[in-house]
Amino acid sequence: MAQRKIRSSSSVGTKTNRVTLNPKVARRSFLKLSAATAALTGVAMTTRMTAKAATPAATKAAYPGTKTVRSVCTHCAVGCGIQAEVRNGVWIRQEVAQDHPVSRGGYCCKGASAIDMVHSDKRLKSPMKRVNGKWQKISWDQAMGEIAAKLTSIRDKDGPDALHLNGSAKVSTEMAYLQRKFAAFWGSNNVDHQARI
Amino acid sequence: MTNSLNDMRHAQLMIFIGSNAAEAHPVSMQHILHAKEVNNAPIIVVDPRFTKLAAKADEFVRIRPGTDCIFIMGLVNEIIEKGWQDKEFVATRVAGFEEMAASITQYTPEEVENVTGIPAAQTRKVAKMLADNRPASLTWCMGGTQHHIGSSITRAFCILQLALGNMGKSGGGTNIFRGHDNVQGATDMCVLSHTLPGYYGLKDGSWKHWCRVWDVDYDYIKGRFKEKKWMNAKGFTLARWYEGVLGEEKIDQYTPIKAMIQWGCGSNSNSQYNRVVKAYNMLDLFVIVDPFPTMAAATCTTDNVYILPCSSQYETSGSVTSTSRQIQWRHKIVEPINGCRDDYTIMQDLVERLGFADEFYKNIKEIPEDITREINKGTLTIGYNGQTPERIKKHMENWHTFDIDTLQAKGGPCDGDYYGMPWPCWTEEHPGTPILYDVSKPVAEGGLPFRNRFGLEHKYEQSGRTENLLAAEGVYNPGSEVKGGYPEFKDVVPGTNWKTDLSQKTLKEAIRRGMAPFGNARARCVVWTFPDQVPIHREPLHTPRPDLISKYPTYEDQPNHFRVFTRYKSEQNPDLVKNFPFVLTTGRMVEHMGGGAETRSNKYLAELAPDMYAEVNPRTGNNLGFRDGEMIWIESPEGGKVKVKAMFTERVDEKTIFMPYHFGGSLMGESIAGNYPKGHEPYVVGDSANVCTNYGYDIVTQIQATKDGLCKISRA
Repeated sequence: MAQRKIRSSSSVGTKTNRVTLNPKVARRSFLKLSAATAALTGVAMTTRMTAKAATPAATKAAYPGTKTVRSVCTHCAVGCGIQAEVRNGVWIRQEVAQDHPVSRGGYCCKGASAIDMVHSDKRLKSPMKRVNGKWQKISWDQAMGEIAAKLTSIRDKDGPDALHLNGSAKVSTEMAYLQRKFAAFWGSNNVDHQARI
Repeated sequence: MTNSLNDMRHAQLMIFIGSNAAEAHPVSMQHILHAKEVNNAPIIVVDPRFTKLAAKADEFVRIRPGTDCIFIMGLVNEIIEKGWQDKEFVATRVAGFEEMAASITQYTPEEVENVTGIPAAQTRKVAKMLADNRPASLTWCMGGTQHHIGSSITRAFCILQLALGNMGKSGGGTNIFRGHDNVQGATDMCVLSHTLPGYYGLKDGSWKHWCRVWDVDYDYIKGRFKEKKWMNAKGFTLARWYEGVLGEEKIDQYTPIKAMIQWGCGSNSNSQYNRVVKAYNMLDLFVIVDPFPTMAAATCTTDNVYILPCSSQYETSGSVTSTSRQIQWRHKIVEPINGCRDDYTIMQDLVERLGFADEFYKNIKEIPEDITREINKGTLTIGYNGQTPERIKKHMENWHTFDIDTLQAKGGPCDGDYYGMPWPCWTEEHPGTPILYDVSKPVAEGGLPFRNRFGLEHKYEQSGRTENLLAAEGVYNPGSEVKGGYPEFKDVVPGTNWKTDLSQKTLKEAIRRGMAPFGNARARCVVWTFPDQVPIHREPLHTPRPDLISKYPTYEDQPNHFRVFTRYKSEQNPDLVKNFPFVLTTGRMVEHMGGGAETRSNKYLAELAPDMYAEVNPRTGNNLGFRDGEMIWIESPEGGKVKVKAMFTERVDEKTIFMPYHFGGSLMGESIAGNYPKGHEPYVVGDSANVCTNYGYDIVTQIQATKDGLCKISRA
């Protein structure tokens, strides 16, 4: 699919050749993905337009044996609905949520491409540590063990306020709550998140 | 926001200031355009740029960055001058109005023009439009807040809406469009250095409340701190934590910061990014927890850095709170992809290894539902009580049963509830509060007066007048036992009040009597605990108008401002503009999000928006001798510089440069893509605007001032 056409290499950062996709293939697959959404570049839709876009063919499960999961887009705070089709534990198709009371089937380009948050080749798949200036894959057990030991040593030597935790507006409310609670149990008010910036 | 996106369908006018909803919140536009088309509601957009939202406006007001406060208070002054304020609303539900009005008479339309660049006739026209079209919805975003007087600017917005009587009404309200998907939820949980969850603060009583919720001894938590005084002291903020590492500014803490965990937090969203990078490389330990390596992974080049690959939010579950205060359940779509772990698992592992898991997880067995229940138990201040995991999931399953205009379920299993049970949702029977401060509905059905939070009366130093801070006789929600203002509830359970009674009997008792647990009071126009009691204009720290500094100076320098010395007066150098003649402002584009670690690693979005750029007025470019599409240098007074593509456009005026802040992966014109773990560098790299955003922080909140700095530009 489109992923294979991506020329990802160290040349990514060069000054001229930053468009790293085969435009034809990527464009086609992008359009397929968002067949039922008209909001490709953020030009918003009226309800009438979204109703027209959500044809019966587009809202019907495309593959046998899929389950549909209702979820929420992870980009902005509008809170658009997502209907994900999942088959054998794989997210295979993303559908607009036409009957969601806020988004009413609308998506911007970020919401329309949400599936790539899971499928992107750029996702990390192992804890990493920099050793002698080079990134090295390490196990979860090694990573967590070393981090906990270093944190404990810093806490013992310098005190709990030697740590700052940058928490997140991108995690669930439950996780955000745990981040604040963690700072309290660690013994510091050096905790903050993106609302400050 | 006090109302909801859907409620904007009922607006008779919409004014946006420092918001570009068409790009930053695109799907909200269907409700906004509904009001425009169906109600014939005019749209007013106030912005330094002619944004994509401005393209939908009936009235575009181009404002000089950092002068929002004087424009808004000028509108208030004009409205009062003409007698257009909502006299009944002001007399019965607002406090300190006279004192406020008396202190802003110098903000005439002519003076507003002098400071903001907005023609006096346009200020008068906008005031008239606001007077003629009520209720009006007012929206702001970071364009309103990221200034050294951001806290005054946001208060000015509220005062305007109070003067017009637009609060507590369908179609009205102060409707802040929040940025990140769960910034509302994370803020409510107070991942913040100055308060515990639910905005309880850091006082002894606040800690004791949460210790009761957590079911641990107060003395145990106290023992975790270096000394008790650090429990009550605000910590370093995200805006300036790195000063705790660098040791170049005076800090008020017994130790420098030596370790940092960045958990779901893009690195290049910080202003003064060069200083952030320097701090990264001085840390003894740096842990990045993110699905994609953030720019920190490429800018921190020491051996003390770890990356933990957490799953995306589609691979875990939990609740999220939208900008409309609606709580939705984000169901897990798939299991964490191979090699990744979800946030909860990483946290549990860390806490176990650090040795406090028994205390930390005392009441948490089922994750995440038991965490939601703990939040329900403790977050009484803002009414996170009635949104149980079961109810939130029920709303998700039945989202199609909610009415688009009212957000109320019509029949079905959620009959009568408002979608997402917008907080406050006081009890498990409460439907949620769709519009804050709306006295037309019973409290049990989602109505609410203004909160009694600042005492029963106040004597103003401005006038010597003493005013009763409770709402006037005759202002109450239907069914209220008291037919006017009343104080907050306490001693229903002896020794507790509505926000500390964990049995929640106080909440239920208040609702039973038709009253709000937090009382029924007036909204304040004078905040006697703030440096500026009434919002006033102060010139940006780095101003293009040095002639205005003597009339509108900034504050005195602040020692120990969130543990670090913060410059104001000593930073306001009138000569800066001679070498840095352009105003630099930043913002969003629709294709990317935040620091862009996620969206620049998304192949579809990478293709849609592959280039970092700066918007430059064609006259500016032609005068400086570079062409559209050429590379230019933009430099800040602090020595930060970025190399970006010039985009000629009249969206900006001749004095203003705009950059989106989503880019990263190159620094000062050089790609650092090779510093990422191989194969995990983002598809799109570009210089980060925040290398150039200037020094400057809000006097109350310390939010960074990224919207009104200075810069110089030249052909690269």
